[in-house]
Parts: sequence; structure tokens; C-alpha cells
Amino acid sequence: MSTIRAGSPAAFWLALPAGLWMVVAVVLPVLLIVWVSLWGGQSVSPDSPITFDNYAHFLANENYRWLILDTLGQAAMIMAITGVLGYCIAYFLTVKLTSPGWRTALFLAFVIPFWTSTLIRAIAFVPFLGVNGLLNQLLISLGLIERPIQAFLYSRLGISMAQVSLYTLLASGPVVYMLSSIPPALREAAMTLKAPPIIVFWRIILPLTLPGIVIGQVLVFLNVLADFITVTTVGGNKLAFLGNLILLFYEGSQIRSTAVVSVLLMILMLAGVAVALRVVDIRKLGS
Amino acid sequence: MAEALVLKQLDLELRNIRKRYGSFIAVDDVSLKVQPGQFVCLLGPSGCGKTTTLRCVAGLEEPDQGGILIGGREVTGDPPWKRDIAMMFQDFALFPHMSVARQVGFGLEMLKKPKAEIAQRVAEVLASFEITQLAERRPGQLSGGQKQRVALARAMITEPRILLLDEPIGALDYSLRETVMLELKALQRRTGISFIWVTHDQNEAFSLGDLVVVMNHARIEQQGSPEEVLGRPRTAFVAGFIQGNNVFHGTAGRAQDGMLQVETPLGAFTVPLLDLATPAPGSPLSFSVRAERLIERADESVPNRIALRCVTVEYFGAFRRHVLDGAGGVVVKYDQFGALPQSIREGEQITLGWAAENGVLHRAPPA
Amino acid sequence: MHWKTRSRLTGWLLGILTVGFLLFQWAPMFTMFTLSFAGENGGTTFPMNGVSLHWYQKLWEADLFDDFKPPMLRSFLLALGCSATTVVLSVCAAQAMRGRFRGNGLYFYLLLLGLMAPGILVGFGFAILTRLLGIEGTWNTTAYVVHVSWALPFGFLTMLAVFNRFDPKLEEAALTLGADRVTAFRRITWPIILPGVIGTALFGFSLSYDEYARTLFTVGSDGTLPLAVMAQLDRQLTPELYAIGSVTTAMSLVVIALCSIGFWLRARALRGRPA
Repeated sequence: MSTIRAGSPAAFWLALPAGLWMVVAVVLPVLLIVWVSLWGGQSVSPDSPITFDNYAHFLANENYRWLILDTLGQAAMIMAITGVLGYCIAYFLTVKLTSPGWRTALFLAFVIPFWTSTLIRAIAFVPFLGVNGLLNQLLISLGLIERPIQAFLYSRLGISMAQVSLYTLLASGPVVYMLSSIPPALREAAMTLKAPPIIVFWRIILPLTLPGIVIGQVLVFLNVLADFITVTTVGGNKLAFLGNLILLFYEGSQIRSTAVVSVLLMILMLAGVAVALRVVDIRKLGS
Repeated sequence: MAEALVLKQLDLELRNIRKRYGSFIAVDDVSLKVQPGQFVCLLGPSGCGKTTTLRCVAGLEEPDQGGILIGGREVTGDPPWKRDIAMMFQDFALFPHMSVARQVGFGLEMLKKPKAEIAQRVAEVLASFEITQLAERRPGQLSGGQKQRVALARAMITEPRILLLDEPIGALDYSLRETVMLELKALQRRTGISFIWVTHDQNEAFSLGDLVVVMNHARIEQQGSPEEVLGRPRTAFVAGFIQGNNVFHGTAGRAQDGMLQVETPLGAFTVPLLDLATPAPGSPLSFSVRAERLIERADESVPNRIALRCVTVEYFGAFRRHVLDGAGGVVVKYDQFGALPQSIREGEQITLGWAAENGVLHRAPPA
Repeated sequence: MHWKTRSRLTGWLLGILTVGFLLFQWAPMFTMFTLSFAGENGGTTFPMNGVSLHWYQKLWEADLFDDFKPPMLRSFLLALGCSATTVVLSVCAAQAMRGRFRGNGLYFYLLLLGLMAPGILVGFGFAILTRLLGIEGTWNTTAYVVHVSWALPFGFLTMLAVFNRFDPKLEEAALTLGADRVTAFRRITWPIILPGVIGTALFGFSLSYDEYARTLFTVGSDGTLPLAVMAQLDRQLTPELYAIGSVTTAMSLVVIALCSIGFWLRARALRGRPA
């Protein structure tokens, strides 16, 4: 027993406001957009007939299909990089680092940027990656290159660097949580059973942190797919992913196309989450 | 004379309590009567339903069927804060954000007592538990023993009719347990409050309880005074659960002159029928013999004998325990008290026996 | 949590990687911070052409085209409102989940939907919805609604985790001491979950203050700070934006510092004064 009785009407009434809010603010708009994406005919009005033509039309276009694959590919690449990087950082901070002072300091250094504006951080990449930017100046002063590299800014490389910088924490956080809930005794037990450290990691630690890895990857996936700010800010107008396409259509007043691409984007996101849930939900996370 | 005619209300009465979680039956037809000022111990293995029963009395669980009466008043539908009870939890459940003084006074705050009175009562109670110096401390700073006293003070200050204790000394260091047990027993005697104490440790139950209630699989197997339960276990489970009993299973044979023949794989034994109904021949039953009542190197004058081989001998200071193997995989315990020199070697073949009156026949198992 | 390490090498390698990444993570902001002090003729990148507070001054003085103060204020108020609402809704929803009402599995996914729907979709859809209903979009009505829908999943998950770690026996103890459910929540549960609640509040504030996609569609004519920044960025990148960035970041750091101190003080109070 607790401050709320199981199955009592009080529980239902407490749950209602948040539930209602989400229905009005998210569910209805989503349904509306799905409906709009199905509007056929010439005019854009509620009286339009329902058809899947818009989707067929969109997907028939080779450039758009390539764009979808490109967006997914970008997401996959960022997921892989942030996944490995995030795991290494998580492992270092929770397992390898023993001094509590250093651990707190580095943790804070890792997490604090997350609490500042992502927009600002994206903008800050412009002077960082530019031809006269900090990175090039650093590389030149270290003697690693002779002339500044132009390809850092307004390129896929730049966008990727920015996204890695922004999203590694998302990949790392859940792993930190899972790593810190593994009792040290497990590792010790494995070692007494004659397992060398690499096996201990591969067979014991890694599988136990798998839910954290999956959650982190899902978070990165969702963020990269929906991200258009970093792409426009750091990529200039030279590159576009699905998110940018949506805005392009919107600014061109192509409502139906806007709706179609939005829905497709959401389907991709939901698909990603569904795949992840099959792996993770089966294991109890306790959250 | 007039006093004898006054019916004293039972402090607690449980009538046919039933509680299930989905398909799992946690408490099955449990009935109990607790006299005023009685120390009751609910004893049993984990999952037997003792804690659920306790929580039903507290009002923290709602039974599916049955009635609960406290002080003669029906409280089955009452929430915990309306019942005349207090509870001590196994890990003490102290409020981490309140000082000791504040949380000890909490119960009186809930009774809407004036501040001055609360302060005074808190000071009194802290003094009686010898924790006055802890008044401004937080639970995070206290040792296990100190936490236990605070939890007790917090519960007792409201002067409840019944104190419910859920394995209260399980979280303490072993060396502390004995002391705390005796203090709690003395407290109960002094205040006259009924204690309902849940434990899986029979040493606690038998040394503390006026009434011992042995539970298994959601049911009460036997309830009685410690002497009754120890001296005469009523079922094979109770006999087996209590240390120091040998349990034998067999089938009923002839009954004659108040004695029953019991056929077992180890042979035929004679067991007193006592007040039990004569079982039908061939029906399954069990009986037990206390380990210290066995006779070494029994000869023909002893009616019940078994041939055994000694497997291990363990020395416990006050007694020596022998574990012996018999036919059909039966294991027999023989305890030798009295600080005598060892008389049976490991590996030795020996015949043990017991006098007929030392066999305790159990209730027939339900059909 | 001291784990005996067998290999010092991996420790060092991982450590270098971690520190390297942290430097990489902070470098852009450091660059921006430095350049915000650029001289009057300073461009948006090195060389700096002198050191001055010129751009901060420009930020402070209002200008017809790039006055950032009203959007900043609107963002702040909006974030405050979003944060407060998120806290109330999250705590209620998480507490309701403890009551295990019928359909709570579906409810869990309903609340998480805000995370899984792209901001553009939600913003666009909500804008259409309001237009169909004849409601005009403004920053403190329609944008407020979608901001809360964005922060709510995060707050909900946070409070669920907080309640998960909470020991219900503390509430039970209070109930047996004569407290009814509301009193037990007020006197026992609330003080203990307060750090989590504050975390939710901060989360809600931060998410709202930084939100762009949803706000773009639902804010109406008066924009928020991210919108104003992006609008300026579209026109021309100037060090004034670096000044805004530095000011915003500094404010965030101050808030974080205050909260950290607050938590540290509270932890010390809970541990109590030594005997």
C-alpha cells in the first residue's frame, strides 16, 4: 500500500490531465497530418478525397528515395561513432577512474554542455571549423597540416562532427547507468573462474550493459533523424536530410508534401523504437 | 467476583481471513484470537503468509474474505490510520528527512495533539528508551541498534492496542539480537500491549511468544504455547520445521489399548494414540520422536528400534548431534546432552530406539 | 566503486580518448566565447581585430532589426511556465502509475509519444489544428501547449525513476502512525522526492528554452529566442550572436552552479551535523 490505492479512481483522475494534454498536443496533430498527407485531388482542403497517391508519388522519385537512405545512413554512422565513443567514455568514467574527485569533475564536464542550448552549440561550430577557425589554427600550429582544411565546415564532415559532439552524451548516459549497477563482485567472480579481462568484458560486462546501449542508440537515432538545425547551421545550405526537406516543402507552401515527408519521418522513428523495444523491453529495466 | 464476570475483549480477532494475488493464495482461512496483553509469534518459512497476515491486521493489505476485529470492534474496512495499531518494519523505515525527535513525535502530530504536549511526550519516550542524546540526529547517522530504538519509540508513543513487528531484529548484528529480544519481551510485559511478532527464526518465536502460530503455505498448521508446540507437534510440517525432531512417515496398522501400530519402511513401530481418532488401517500418517529421546544401543527391552549407521558427529558444546543413515535413505538425528564423552564414532553401525510414549502421533493429513 | 584494473594500458587509452572528447566538446563554445569579445571590425572568425565589449553593447542596445531582449524575455517566461506545468503533470502522472490503473501500459506509451514524434510534425500538425479551430497561435498559448508536450515525456520518465527508487515502506510507516494518504504524501513522500522534482523542473525549463522545431510553427508573430537567433543567422552571422550564445551559456552555468550548491547543502543537512 502507498499513498495511492492500487486500482482506485484517484489514480485514474491523477493520470487524466497529462494524458489529455498529450492527446490534444500530439495525438490529434499527428492524426491530422496523416489525414492531410492522404488528401488527393487538386485543392488542399478537408473535402479532398483520400488517396495514397501522394506517397506513391513521393517514393517514386529516385532523388527522394536516395534522400531517405542517405538520412538513414547518416543516422547509422552517427549511431556507430557515438555508440563506440560513448561506451568508451562511460567505461572509463565508471570503471577505470577511481578517484571520486576526478570522476565528478569529468562527469560534470561531460554533462554540463547538455544543459546549455544545442542551437548555440551548433552555431559555435562555425567559428570552430572554419578556414580561420580554431581547429584549423590548432592543426597548423601543431604542424600537422600546412594549409587550412576547407572541408571541415559546410560539409557532411562538419555536420557529422557537430552531431557527434552533441549526441555522444545520449549514447553514453544509459550505458553509465547500466555499468554502475553491475556489482564489482561479478567481474571478480569471472576472474576467479579463469576468465582473462577481455573475456570478462565480452561475456559478462557487455551483455549486461546491452539495454543501456540500445536505449542510447535509440536516443541518438531519434535525434539525428529529426535534426535539421545542425544540418543547416553547420552544413550551410549545401546538404539536406529528411528534416530539411520538410521545411523546404513548408516554405514552398506544399502542404501535402510537407505532410507526406513528416509522416514518413515519423514512421522511420517509430520503426526504430519498435525494433529497440523488442530487444530491451523483454529485460526489466526498472524505470 | 464481579471482575470474573467482566468479559475481557480480545485485543485482536481474525476470522477466516483469505487473501490472494492473482492465482497465488497468500493467506488461506486464517483464524486467530489474541488475548489482551498477549505476545504472539507468527512463525514459518518464507512465503508462508505470515507477513501478509500481519499486513492485513495493519490495514496495509485488504483481505478478500474474512473479518478483523481490534478490541472487539470490526475494522476490516478501515484504513491503517484509523486502526489502533502501530508497526515496526524490518529495515525500520525511518523518515530520512526528519530528525529523531520530529519523527518520534509524528504519531502524536497525526492525533492533533498540541505542540507542548508533543514535545513533552517525546522527551519522556526518548528518555525511556535511553536515546535522548539522539534527538536532533538524522537516521543516516544512526547505527542499527539506535535505529531500532527510534523505530520502537516512534511506534510506542501513540500507545497502541497492538504492536505489529515484521522480523524486527533480522537487520541487527547477531550479538545485538539477544539483548534486543530480551528488552522487547520486558517492554511487552511492562506495557501490557499485545505484540504480534513475525519471524522465521524459531528460537525467537519460542523464547518470546506466549502463543506460537506456525504457518505454512498460507495456512495455520498449529497454534499453542511453546510447550504445546514443542512437546506435541500436530503435523509432519511442524515437527520437521522445529529443530530436533525426527519425522517418520508410514501407514496405520492395528490399534490396541490406546497404542497404534505404524508400518514404515524401517519397520513397525508402536505409537500412543492419545486423543486422536483411530485412523483406518492403511491410511497414511506420520509421527515424530525428539532427537534427545533416542536410546543408544537399544536392546530388546525397547519396543521401537532401528538399525543405523552414523554418518557425522557434530559437537555444539551443550550437546552432541549425531546424524545417522537408515534403510531407504531415512536420516535420523540423535542428540546427546549432558557433556558426556563421545560414545558413537563416525561410520559405526548402531541400533537406536525409543520408549513407546516418546512417539508423538500427528494429525491425519487432510484427504 | 573501485574496480581492480588488470590493464593500465586500456585505462590510459580510454582516459586519453575521454579527455580528448571533452576538449572537443568544449572547444566550439570556447571559440564562440572568445570571439564574442572581438573588436568592432572583427569578423565572425579569427583574427579578432582587437578586444572589446562592442558586441555585448550592441546586444544590450535595442535595434529595429535585431533586438534580442523581448524574445529572450518571452523564452524565459515560456520556459518558466512550461517547467511548472511539466512538474505538476509529471508528478501526477507518475504517482498515478503507482496506482496501477487499468490501461496504464497504453498510458505509458501515450506519454512517451511526445519523444517519438518529430518536432516538425507535431508543430505543423498543431498549427493546422488550431487554424481549423480558428485559434490564433501565440507564444504563450499554442507554443506553450506544444512545449509542455515536448517536456512531459522527459519529466514523466524522470519521476517514474524517482518513484521507483522510493521506498514505499516509508509511506506505510506514516499510514500506521495515523497519517491519511494525502498527509503521508505531503509530509513524507514529497520532501523525499523533491530533488527529482527539481530535476524535472530544470529539465522542463531547459528543453523549453532551447526548443525550435515545434515553436517555429506555433509561436505566431512574437518569437522566442531560438527563433530570433536563427532568423539572424539566416540574414548574417555576426559576433552579436556569439555574445548571445555566451550570455545564455553563462546563465545556464549559473543555474547549474546554484542547483549543485543547493543539492550539496541538502545532502549535508540530511547527513546531519556530526555528534
